[in-house]
Amino acid sequence: MLATIGGVFAGLMALPAAQVLKKRFRKTPAPSGYDPSQHKWLMCLDVDKCIGCGLCADACKTENHVPEASHFFRTWIERYIIKKPAAGSGTARGEVLVDSPNGGRGGFPPTLVPRAEILKSFFVPKLCNLCEASPCTQVCPVGATFDTPDGAVLVDPTYCIGCGFCIQACPYGCRFLSPVTKTAEKCTLCYHRITRGLLPACVEICPTHARVFGDLKNPLENDPLQAFVEKNKVHTLKPHLGTNPRVLYANLDKEVR
Amino acid sequence: MRFFHLPPQIFRLVLLIFAIVVSYLVARTLLTPDSFRKYGFYRGAALAEHIANHQPVFAGKIACGQRHPDVLEILTKDSHKSLSCEACHGVVSQEHLKNPDSKMIKPTAKVCLRCHEASPSRPVTFKQIVVNDHYSDDCIECHFPHEPNKYHE
Amino acid sequence: MSLQLTCVLAEVAPHFDGYVYPNESGTHPLWGVLIVLYPYITGLVAGAFIMASLVRVFRVKALEPVYRLSLLTALAFLLCATLPLLCHLGHPERSYQIMITPHLTSPMAIFGFVYAWYLMAVLLLELWFDFREDFVNWGKTEPGLRGLLYRILTVGVNDVSPKAVALDHKLSWIISILGIPSAFLLHGYVGFIFGSIKANPWWGNAIMPIIFILSAMVSGIALCVFVYMVLSWLRRRSLDMRCLDVMGMYLFYALVIDATVEALDWIHRAYSAEEGFRVMEYMAQQRLFYTLSIGQLLMGTLIPLLTLGTLQVARKYISDAIRTRLYFTCSFFVLLGVLAMRWNVVMGGQFFSKSLRGVMSYKLEFAGAEGWFLGLILLSLPFIILTVLIKLFLSQRLPTSGHVPHRLTSN
Repeated sequence: MLATIGGVFAGLMALPAAQVLKKRFRKTPAPSGYDPSQHKWLMCLDVDKCIGCGLCADACKTENHVPEASHFFRTWIERYIIKKPAAGSGTARGEVLVDSPNGGRGGFPPTLVPRAEILKSFFVPKLCNLCEASPCTQVCPVGATFDTPDGAVLVDPTYCIGCGFCIQACPYGCRFLSPVTKTAEKCTLCYHRITRGLLPACVEICPTHARVFGDLKNPLENDPLQAFVEKNKVHTLKPHLGTNPRVLYANLDKEVR
Repeated sequence: MRFFHLPPQIFRLVLLIFAIVVSYLVARTLLTPDSFRKYGFYRGAALAEHIANHQPVFAGKIACGQRHPDVLEILTKDSHKSLSCEACHGVVSQEHLKNPDSKMIKPTAKVCLRCHEASPSRPVTFKQIVVNDHYSDDCIECHFPHEPNKYHE
Repeated sequence: MSLQLTCVLAEVAPHFDGYVYPNESGTHPLWGVLIVLYPYITGLVAGAFIMASLVRVFRVKALEPVYRLSLLTALAFLLCATLPLLCHLGHPERSYQIMITPHLTSPMAIFGFVYAWYLMAVLLLELWFDFREDFVNWGKTEPGLRGLLYRILTVGVNDVSPKAVALDHKLSWIISILGIPSAFLLHGYVGFIFGSIKANPWWGNAIMPIIFILSAMVSGIALCVFVYMVLSWLRRRSLDMRCLDVMGMYLFYALVIDATVEALDWIHRAYSAEEGFRVMEYMAQQRLFYTLSIGQLLMGTLIPLLTLGTLQVARKYISDAIRTRLYFTCSFFVLLGVLAMRWNVVMGGQFFSKSLRGVMSYKLEFAGAEGWFLGLILLSLPFIILTVLIKLFLSQRLPTSGHVPHRLTSN
């Protein structure tokens, strides 16, 4: 009886032992010459330069084949209109109106607020904040979304189970559940472009260089990212949550969430 | 080995628990993807797969500039130097790639106004016009798109 | 109220007040009816088990008539607990990954293990130790498939000597003790899933797991009352009023503690009035009005508290018949109230934007993968399973082992 148990046990242990040996000696192919440990990508945004043309939102949808509907965005632009304070109210600034019609695609329709009532107005592009302490990757139950060694945050579409926990955990609203793949989807920093030496589509298309992109480990000569951090005082979104977003915003107003 | 007598309930239960735990460990070893934990708690192969499964759509200014160096030289001299070709001409079409003689989209005034229509939300340092108060609604009557500060007579 | 029951599956233009992030502006919430049901079901399981452990661990003799019923109720609901999750996943065929590569920083990752532990090591084991003697006896006397089932369930252990049975008792007691923190873990981790989401101020606070556990206790006890009364009515048996009174007492005190802690949460939110408070208040008043004020507060808390409280002080002045009706109504209201509470937590967190500037207006469909219809089916399934379990294991004609007086009182 005991011998049978022993024999069964040994037999069962042989299987995982063989797997372990197989794993140790099998080579995994490198990503076609690209070494993620040699790069650290970052995108930063200068709010004062954004003109709200919406070309970035359109380019992203085209480049990444994002579903057309108006509630799936990897990047979008928000318009903030801060009205003048009501007469006699004793406040420095008035009502704040925020909108993002179709994420800013096709540009923004003219606002109904008369110019005379506007104290300040600006556009703010939004995207994945590339957090150092990403709450989204922390909560994935299976390890399907992750921080890459080179600074992007990706979703493994063959491993994601579509539970939606990461979407709920992202404070910046940058994730959505794709109706096509039924997995989580988000800004990938155009990973397929940057690893081929191209710029992300939104950076490529931005006419005013409001979006600044660079490789922190391999700065170029006159690197725009280096110039950005040297020139500007910077903010991050929702710093009180401790997510430590790497995406830096220059000239961010207090009303932006 | 001296095997002291366990009550029958416990003996059977210990066997069952043992069988369950061992099957779980075997399943776990067999079903964990190979490249898991290569870079972190995820399938390392996903990085290469992502790169391989997605092809760039926009060609990019550098690619256009390699084939159209004369246009790029003109562009870099004036205030549209920050623009990418595909911002106004649209994404490089497959037709244009196959047959370079076929034209890309010729932008209309609508393309110009997308950026240059006056808006209170745009920075005041950015050149913008109210098209109804402007000289013409057909931009290229006066402007050269690649050299916007040069005008026709 | 924006809640619309509809059979139309077509997309309708999204609607919201204020500003919501574009990704939030869709027509349906990400976590729907199914995610409301999952904590509800596991809460019922945890609560029913705690009721049973009152008998085993705290030796509340008055509750012995419902001991086995509580355990079987817990089992019936636990067997259905994974179904809402599987139906909700984008890729249910990959759900095994949660046990193969569990990401240990995620509270959701422990689901597979906690569920397996609770089902096998706690609930099934405790049931087995309690029923084992009966399985052996029934296996000998019952014919056909039924007898075969009982014999299989003995797992080949046929020893029913007093020593073996005493060991069964001791082990059952140990498991009951282990089972209490396990029940808290089974349901508490769900509360922690919500409590850990710092991005959402409605969910992300330390008190969320505690509120979940307390309301789970309340719902579990109410379920036991409900099931006991329905079963006795179906079998035309008279009720053990002492058992019912004691259950009512525990329900009352659990409700008092639960209501107090939930009230504390509300008071703290209103007092400290952090940034998200205004939009959450607006959302609760607009989108959650019926489920919050009527469902959770009035039906789920106020009416049961007043009724059960009155019954505690004035029990001897109220006749059995009226008490029976009051207990039934209260337990039913509490069950609805806790379901409303789960709705308010899960849906409430999704009805306002993380921009803290807007409130969404989602449609909830009747048919479809996250529709009401599927929800109703998933909620009825445990009762169907419970019926089968009762027929097999709480059959009135089968003799039960005399040392555990758990039979429903005769006549």
